[in-house]
Formats: sequence, C-alpha cells, structure tokens
Amino acid sequence: MNAPLDLARLERGSMDELRPALEGAVPAVMATVAADGTPNVAYLSQVHHVDERHVALSFQFFNRTRQNLLAHPRSTVLLVHPIGMTFYRLHLRYLRTETGGAVFERMKAQLAGIASQSGLDDVFVLRGADIHEVLAIERVPVAPRPPGLPAPQARPAALPVLSRASQRLGAARTLDALIEAALDVLQHELDMPQAMVLIADSAAGRLYTVASRGYTPSGVGSEIPFGQGVIGVAARAATPLRINHMTSAALYNQAVLGGYGRDTQAEIAYPGLARPGSQLAVPLASAGRVVGVLFVECGQEMRFNHEDEDLLVALGGQLAAGIDLMHESEEPCGTESDAGAPQAVAPAAAPLRVRRYRRDDSVFVNNAYLIKGVAGAILWKLLTHHREGRHEFTNRELRLDASLGLPDVSDNLEARLLLLHRRLTEQCPALRLQKTGRGCFRFDALAPVELVESD
Amino acid sequence: MDKPLPPLKPEFLAMMAKGVSLMLCSCDPALTPSVMRAVGSRIEDEGRRITAYLGRAQAAQLLADIASSGRLAAVFSQPSTHLTVQFKSRRVRIRETREDDGPHLEAYLRSMEQEVAAVGFAPVCAHALLAHAPGDLVAVEFEPDEAYDQTPGPQAGRQVSAH
Repeated sequence: MNAPLDLARLERGSMDELRPALEGAVPAVMATVAADGTPNVAYLSQVHHVDERHVALSFQFFNRTRQNLLAHPRSTVLLVHPIGMTFYRLHLRYLRTETGGAVFERMKAQLAGIASQSGLDDVFVLRGADIHEVLAIERVPVAPRPPGLPAPQARPAALPVLSRASQRLGAARTLDALIEAALDVLQHELDMPQAMVLIADSAAGRLYTVASRGYTPSGVGSEIPFGQGVIGVAARAATPLRINHMTSAALYNQAVLGGYGRDTQAEIAYPGLARPGSQLAVPLASAGRVVGVLFVECGQEMRFNHEDEDLLVALGGQLAAGIDLMHESEEPCGTESDAGAPQAVAPAAAPLRVRRYRRDDSVFVNNAYLIKGVAGAILWKLLTHHREGRHEFTNRELRLDASLGLPDVSDNLEARLLLLHRRLTEQCPALRLQKTGRGCFRFDALAPVELVESD
Repeated sequence: MDKPLPPLKPEFLAMMAKGVSLMLCSCDPALTPSVMRAVGSRIEDEGRRITAYLGRAQAAQLLADIASSGRLAAVFSQPSTHLTVQFKSRRVRIRETREDDGPHLEAYLRSMEQEVAAVGFAPVCAHALLAHAPGDLVAVEFEPDEAYDQTPGPQAGRQVSAH
C-alpha cells in the first residue's frame, strides 16, 4: 500500500492564478471514487468560481460522479491553464447542493447558453449548483515547453483604464453625459463595440434600454423583464453573468423576449446581436439595490474573461452611483443652459398627429409607435402644456404630478427623461426635449401638433 | 475477470486507434482520487489491450495509486465530436517504455495536433499538453473489464453493448 496523498506536500497555487483555467477553453475532468474503490473520470462543462475557498459544479444528471460524491465527497479535478497549457489539480470536498440564489442563477443562465450551442437544450437542465470546498490547488510539475506557443493576447492594463474612466464619469454633469462616458470607455479603451445601458423600472419589473453602441437601430426604449435572458437574470440575481460559448444562444434571450409583449405594436425591438459568441451583463448596484445593467457582447467566443468582468463591475459601481446621484439632485434651475434660442414652428413642417392610449400611456406619432408608460405620460403632459404656450419645465413638477404614475421610491425620473429625449431624437425630431440645467428642461414642437386620445 | 470484453463499437475503436484525449484515474487507500492526462496511447487486439503513457513527474501520485490498488479508470474523448468512452480495469501493469512504443507516441502527437486544431487551438498546443521530459515516460498497460459510453447526452453512463 502506498501512502495516502498528503496535501501539505503539494506545490500550491492560488485561486487568482487558476481563474483563467476555469474558463473551460480546455475541458476539465473530475475524478471520483465509489465506496468500493472503483475510480471514475468525467468531463465537466465548467468549474465556476465562487470565492477563494469554493467552486461550484453543475448538477444536471444523476450520474456516476454524483453517486460517488454523495457516498464519498472527495474529488480531484484536472484543469488546464489556457496560456502555456500547464496543468492544475483542484482537490475538492463536496459540501452541499444549492437550488436558488446568485450562484445557481448564474450557472443556470450560463448553462442555457452552452446548451443552445450544443443543441441539447432539453437535456441541459440545471438541477442544482454543487458547492465544493477547495482543499488545495496543486500546480502540476511543468514539463519542458515547446517553442512557439501562442503568447497571451495583449490587453489594456485595467487600473489606468479605470482611472481614466473614473475621471470621465466624475466630470459628467448630466445622466446623458455620464452614460455616454461609460459607453465611450467600453468602445474606445476596452474594444467592446457592442454595449448597452439599461435602467431598472422596479415597479414594472423590467429594464429599459436608455443608450447603446454598435447596434442599428439603437434599441433605445426596448424592454427586458427581470429574470429573463442574460440581462434580466443578472439584474434579478444581482450578480454579473458571463457566457463565453453562446453562438446561437440569442435563442435564450430572443425566445425569452419573444414571449413578452410581441403581440402589441407598442414594442421596440431588442437590439442584441443575432449570433453572439460571448456576453457579459453586470448589474449596476447602488445603495443596495440594482438600478440597471451594463451589458456588452461580441460575435467571437471566449471574448470576455474574469478580468473584463472585474473591470466592468468596478466601472459599473461608479456608473450606478452616478445614476442614483443624477436622480436625486434636483435643485432649481441653474444658469448652465446650453439650449439654443426657442425655435418657432416652421410653417412648412408636416403636421404631427399624436395619439395617446390611456390604458398604457402609449403614444403614437402619425401612427408610428413612439413610447409608452411613464415616459409616454410625461410626453403627453408636455404636449398638453405646450399647446397652452408653455416651454419650460422642471423635474420637480413632474415628480409632484400624481397623474404621471411615478412610483414613490426609486422612480428614476431623470432616466425616463433621457429615454424620452433619445426616442424623440431617433423617431420624431420635430418634438424636442432639451436640458436647460439641473432639474429643468425645455420642450419644443417644431411642427403643428394635433392631439388625439383613445382608451 | 478472465472473460474477454465483447468487441467494442467500431466508432469507439476507430477513435481510440486514431489517438484522442486520454485521462487516467485511480485512488489511494483513503479513496482520494488521483488523475492525469496521458501523453500517448497504444491500442492492441481491438481494444482488448490498451497502453497509456504517462510522465512520471506529472503523474507521481496516480502511478503510485495504480501500482498499489491495481485498478484504474481511463476515458478516451474526441474533442471535435465529444465522443467519449470510459474503461474500468483491474488488470493493470506498469512497465518501462520500449523502443517499439516510439512510433505510437509519435502517431498520437500527430493525431492530437489535428484534434486541438479542430477545436480552434494552434497545433503547437498539443505539444504543450503532451509535453514531458525525455526519459520521464512510463507505460501503463491494462485490459478493460467494463466499458461505458460517456458521450454527453441522455445515454451517458450506459454500459457499452457488443456490436
């Protein structure tokens, strides 16, 4: 009989150095042993990082590995680091199975992405997240490396990028400028050309897109229910979600979106890529609640790594705080007006027939859907006042107007005004909303307007 | 077990003969599993005799466990197709490598270059995955007692039937 394995004598590595190996570029295998001493090896779809001392594995089948773990919780996982193809052995002890919570939700969404790629959607059901304690991370002795191994891809250094991003976000004086600054950083500093910012409407249980980059049309105003798709799950579970093998996993997002509200005209199409390879959704949390989601995607697989996720979480923290701050600061109008002189109605401009449906505050201009909900109610209020000759408005009066149906808490009026501003710019430039200072704005109609109401 | 295993399904045999990913596992007296990737394989007598090659430095515990317990599990898996088969054996022998192992190691490396390329890696990555110090190799010969289809899907885990 040989001596049992002595963990204390292994050459140990850290979870930080191991993280790239968890991406699953080279599949990991798990070795377990049955009570009668029969060894077993099984391939793993992904080893999920939980924290420095724990990992999670998906429980999908009542297979031999699971039977072994329930009888004898000790396992050994062989992992390959994608840079240099070096090996690690993860020595684990199975602790428990979770069927809810952030880790489970994250794995469920990731599994859905992997499943749709492999065409095994019906087979890949997540029964639980098996939480394992990491007893040791063993560095397997490295054999001589062959020459000509691909070098790691050069990536921007995270801290200088964050430093510049922080300065830009800190300098933004409006919600619009704040969000644009964040999207600029993603596009120009991090080479993430497809990105969206969505704001949470907690009362309605949805997120709405207020800004995007890299999509035509922009999709501003499109909505995603909480808990659905990569974006909705990230918001509901308040956890970052990163999927590196999706290809046709738009199925996951699109099927989900397809089930919601597609029967009505009052719907703006979700702008996402038709065939994303990688997606990363980061919840924007401030003061303990999710105010929105920062989302990036790419046609290429394995595009976003742990470091990208960490970076977007840090960037998202400041963005979230900024969104909250913009919402709260509503001092009376300052003197920072950047609006031009009031423009007269151009007599030649085509008249606008604006119809509002009271049942959902949806607004159509010349029979084309524009916006609905709180933003639709705001637009209607502005149009009716405008008919009486008013142009200047304040956030405060909107907030105090019970007819708009703003929830009492966390209504994020500023984000709704930004959404309205963007929809008008894209769909109906003859109606113009301009900020004239903090907490105040100007509304103009550059064409004759006819107002019609329906139930 | 003296009864020979029924012949393997041709698709498994063809895959194994070509040279695909091979993982070996055993355990110590406390049932702690040990595991390592083989750096080569040799298939004889239609899969009734299999040789896996391991680097001693990288598989020290596994080799000690195999020697001590006399049993192992071995999984062949083709990266491009996910075709996977697992063997269990209690008829295991560890021996030094011989001159006639050389061509099998060379053919295995060539096959793995193709396999990693098929899933998007540079062929040189196969050399890194299978790297070992000269003179560090050891051969693990075994005769399968049981075989299981472990290709992902609902059939995973079924004992392989005769064909």
